[in-house]
Amino acid sequence: MTMVSGISRTVVVFTLLTLSLFGAAIWSLSAGAVPVSWQIIANTLFDLDGPRQDYIILRSRLPRTLLALLSGGCLAISGTIVQALLRNPLASPKIIGINSGAALAVCLMVIALPDLPITYLPVAAVLGGCLAASLVWLGSEVGKVSPTRLVLIGIAVGFLFDAGVDYILVTSPSFKFSTPLVWLTGSLWARGWAHLGLVWHVLLLLAVTSVILSYRLDLIRLGDAHATGLGMNVPRERFVLLALAVLLAAISVSVVGVLGFVGLMAPHIARSLVGGSHPVLQPCAILTGMFLVVLADATGRALAPPVEISAGILTAMFGAPFFIFILITTGKAEQS
Amino acid sequence: MTTGGWQHRGVPAGLLLITLFASGAAASLATGGRSDVGLSALLGVFGAEPKSLAQSVMFDIRLPRTLVAVFIGINLAMAGLILQAVTRNPLASPSILGVNQGAALGMVLALFFPAMSGSAVGVFAVTGALTAGALTFAIAGGFQGELNSLRLILGGVAVGAFACALVRFSFTLDDDLSRQVVRWTSGNIADMRWHDVGPLAGLSITGLIATVLLSHRLNLMALGEASATGLGTDPRITLLFGAVLAAILTGASVAVAGPVAFVGLVVPHMCRLVFGPDHRILVPAAALGGATLMVLADFASKWVIAPFETPVGVIAALIGAPYFLYQTLVAKDLE
Amino acid sequence: MLSRRALLSIFTGLVFALPLQASGAEIAHEMGITAVPDAPQRIVVLEFSFIDALASVGVAPVGIADDNKRARIIPAYTDIIGDDWVSVGTRKTPSLEIIAALQPDLIIADKTRHAAAYDTLSEIAPTIVLDSLGGDYYASVAQMSVIGQALGKQNEMDARVAAHRATMAAYVDEIKTASSGVTAQFGVTNATGLWLHSPKSYNGSLLDMFGFSSNMSPTEGGVYQTNYVPTTLEQLSVVDPDILILGKYARPAFTDSWSGDALYDGLTAVKSGKVFQVTAHNWSRLRGMLAAEMTAQDMLEIIRMTSESN
Repeated sequence: MTMVSGISRTVVVFTLLTLSLFGAAIWSLSAGAVPVSWQIIANTLFDLDGPRQDYIILRSRLPRTLLALLSGGCLAISGTIVQALLRNPLASPKIIGINSGAALAVCLMVIALPDLPITYLPVAAVLGGCLAASLVWLGSEVGKVSPTRLVLIGIAVGFLFDAGVDYILVTSPSFKFSTPLVWLTGSLWARGWAHLGLVWHVLLLLAVTSVILSYRLDLIRLGDAHATGLGMNVPRERFVLLALAVLLAAISVSVVGVLGFVGLMAPHIARSLVGGSHPVLQPCAILTGMFLVVLADATGRALAPPVEISAGILTAMFGAPFFIFILITTGKAEQS
Repeated sequence: MTTGGWQHRGVPAGLLLITLFASGAAASLATGGRSDVGLSALLGVFGAEPKSLAQSVMFDIRLPRTLVAVFIGINLAMAGLILQAVTRNPLASPSILGVNQGAALGMVLALFFPAMSGSAVGVFAVTGALTAGALTFAIAGGFQGELNSLRLILGGVAVGAFACALVRFSFTLDDDLSRQVVRWTSGNIADMRWHDVGPLAGLSITGLIATVLLSHRLNLMALGEASATGLGTDPRITLLFGAVLAAILTGASVAVAGPVAFVGLVVPHMCRLVFGPDHRILVPAAALGGATLMVLADFASKWVIAPFETPVGVIAALIGAPYFLYQTLVAKDLE
Repeated sequence: MLSRRALLSIFTGLVFALPLQASGAEIAHEMGITAVPDAPQRIVVLEFSFIDALASVGVAPVGIADDNKRARIIPAYTDIIGDDWVSVGTRKTPSLEIIAALQPDLIIADKTRHAAAYDTLSEIAPTIVLDSLGGDYYASVAQMSVIGQALGKQNEMDARVAAHRATMAAYVDEIKTASSGVTAQFGVTNATGLWLHSPKSYNGSLLDMFGFSSNMSPTEGGVYQTNYVPTTLEQLSVVDPDILILGKYARPAFTDSWSGDALYDGLTAVKSGKVFQVTAHNWSRLRGMLAAEMTAQDMLEIIRMTSESN
C-alpha cells in the first residue's frame, strides 16, 4: 500500500464527510413542525427579497443546528481523547461517568436550590460531570488499574450517580421535574443563540487546544515507556488531556442535556474511515460527531411534529446497538 | 476444596443470618402507614374472625408485602448466584447483565397495549428478561461456549442502556404515562396483596428447589468448564439451564415489583465470603440472605422519609451501587 | 480574560432586551416584568388554566399546548373559544416553531414547565409566566387578574372574577352547611397507583375553602411539601376521610382492586357509601374559574347525595 493512495483516500473521505455534514445541516434547517420552502430558507439566510421566516430559520433552527454542530464536535473530541488515553475502544465520556454526574448535579440543584435561576443548570452540570470523572480517575489511580477495569469503574460510578438521580426523582414533587426530565433525555428543545453565546468561546478554545495537543495522543498510544523516552512527562500530559476531555464533554452536556454514545460512536466511525493517526483521526471524528448530533436533532424534530423526540433518545437507540457491535468486533479481533 | 474452615464458621454465621432475617422481617412488619399497628397485631391474625383493624392491616397489607419482599429477595439472589456461577464472573447479576432492564422494557411495552390483563404483563416481563439475557450471552459469545467475562459485563450494560433509552422515550410522552413508568421502573412493592404473593411464591420455591438440584453442577462449573466436562457433565447445558432459570426468576420479580437492582450482585458475594464456595451450602444461605436484604430494604423504604415511602428499588440501588463500585475495584479474574 | 468573561456571563445569567412596545401594559409575573401590547389579539397558551382565563373574557387563543389531543379542551371552553386553535404540541415541550409561525403577540407560559424556555419564548413574543401547575386555587384566581391585565381587559376580567367569587361564595355557603367538621379528600388514580392531592394543591385548597378539613399529615413545619402524594391503602386508612373523591384516569383504576379488602371496606367513606367519582381531567388538570365552578357543582351534588343517604 503506497502513501499516495492512503492520502487520496483520506482526501476522499474528508470531502464526502464534509458534503454529508453540509447536507445534514441544510436538512436540519428545513426539518421541523412548520414546513418552510427552500426558497424561503434561502431568502432568510442570505437576506434576499421575497417572503422570509425570520424566527423559525434564524432564531430557532440556525442556532439549534450550530449548537448541535458544536456539541457533536466537542463530544467527539472528548471521546477520541478518552479512548486513546485509556487505550480502550469502549471508552467514552459517558462511560467515565460524566453524564450521570451532570444529571445528579442538575437534579440536586432543582431540589436543594429551587430558587436559583434555571440558567445555573449548566454550572451545576459541569461541576457534577467533573466530580464523577475525578472519582473515576481517583479510583483508577489508587488501584493502579488496567484500562479495561477503568471502564468498569466508570460504569460503577455511573450506576452510583444514577441511583442518586432515581432517589431524587421518586421522592420529590413530580411537577418540579418537568424541565430536568427533558434535559435528562438530551434535548435541544428551546435552545437558542443565548445558550450558544454562553458556551461557544469556552468550547472553541478547549476544542482548538485539544486538537493541537492531539498529536501527543499518538505518542502516548505507543506506550508510557516509549513516550517518556521521547521526553514527555507522561502523567502530566495524560492529566491535561483528560481534563480537557472532561471539560469538553461536561460543558456540552450541560447545554444539550444527556446525549449518550456520540463520544463513543464518532471516533470509531472515524477510525474505520481514516485510520488511527490522531492528527487525521481527530478532525475526522469531529466531523462525524457533528453529523451524528445534527442528524439526531433534525430527525427528532421531523418524525412526529408538533411533538419533539429528544436527540438523546435517538442517539441512545442507535448508540447502544453500536456499542454492542464494537464489543463483538473488538472481541473477534482479539481472538484472531 | 477445603471446607473445614467454612463449616467451622458456617453454623454461627447461619444462626446470625437467621436472627438478622427475623429482626428484619419484624421491622418490616412493624412499620407502615399506620403507626398504631405494631407487631402485637400478629397475635391470632390467622385465626381471629372478625378481625380488628390492626389485624386487617397486618394480614391484608403488611404480611403480603413482606412476603413479596422475601420472595423477590430469594428470586434475585438465586438468579445472581446462578449467573455468577455459570459465567464464573463475580460481577454477573440480573441488573448488570441487562436482564432487569429488559424485563422493565417488556412491561412498558405492555403499557402500550392497555387491553393486556395482569398476567399478560408478567409474560411481557419474562419475555423481555429472556430476550435481554439471550442478547447479552450472545454478545459475550456464550452460545459458542466461550464466555468472555468482560464482554459479558459490558454487553449487559449496553443491553441495559438500550432498554433504558426506550423506557425513557416514554418520559417524553404524556405526563400521566411518564408518572406511571417512573413508578414501574423504580421497583416498588408498596401495594402488594395476597394475590401477588401466590404465583411469586410458587415460582420462588420451584426456583429454589431447581437451584438446589443444580448446586452440584454449579460447583463443577465454578471449578472450570474443563474439569466439569472431565467429570461427565456438559457445561453448556448447565449454562443454558441456569441462564433460563435466572431470567425466569428475574422476570417474575420484575413483573410483580419492577426492577430491583444489585440484590442479585451483593447477596451471593456476601454469602460466599461468609459461607465459602460450596453451592450446596451457598444456595440456601443466599436465599436467606436475599430475603434478609429485601426485608431490610423494605423496612428502610417505609422508614427513611416517613410518612412518605421511598420505592424499595431505589433503596436497593443506593445500597448496591457503592458495593458494585467496590467490587469493580477489587474483583480479580476480570481481564 | 476570556474565561473570566465567560464565567461572568454564566453567573449573571441572560439579560434580554425586549423590543420596546409603543403602548400597552407592564405586566409583573414570575420571571420579571414584561411589556405587552395594548390589546393582544393572537395569544398562545401553554397550560389549561390559561384557556379558562381567556374564555372568561371571551378571547379565543390562536394556539394551545393541548398535548396534541384536541379532546382535552372540554366543550365548556370550545363553546366560547371555538375550534380554530392550532395545537402547538405537548405542554412539556411545545413546538416553538409552530408558536412562532402563529405570530402571536402574547404567550402565557407555566413556571414549572417553561421557565427554562422563557428567554426563547420571549424572542417570539412578549411572554408572561405564571405558576399554574404548582399553584393552589387562590393563586389561580390571582393569575386571572394578571391575565386580564395582559389582555387589556382588566375591567371585564375583574367583573368576571367578581362574579366567580360571588358564585363560589354561594356554593361555599351551601356546601358549608354540611362540611363543618367533615373531612374530604380528593385523589387521582391510574392503573398503577393512587395520588392524594394535599391541602397545598389546587383541589386541596378548594376543599379547604368549602369548609372541609383534611387528615393528611403535614411534614416539617406544618408545610405540605408536595401537591400530590403517592398513597397506599394503609396510608389511606390513616387519612380515612369522611368523604373520598376519586378521579380515575384508567379503567379499571388501581383503587378498584381494593374493594373487598377488609381495610378498604372499613374506611369511613366506604362504610357510609361516601366514595364519589368525578372527572379526573376537569378536577385535576384544568385549574381555572370555570373548572372551580364545575368542581363546586360536583361538590354540591356530592353533599346532596350524602345528606340523602343520612
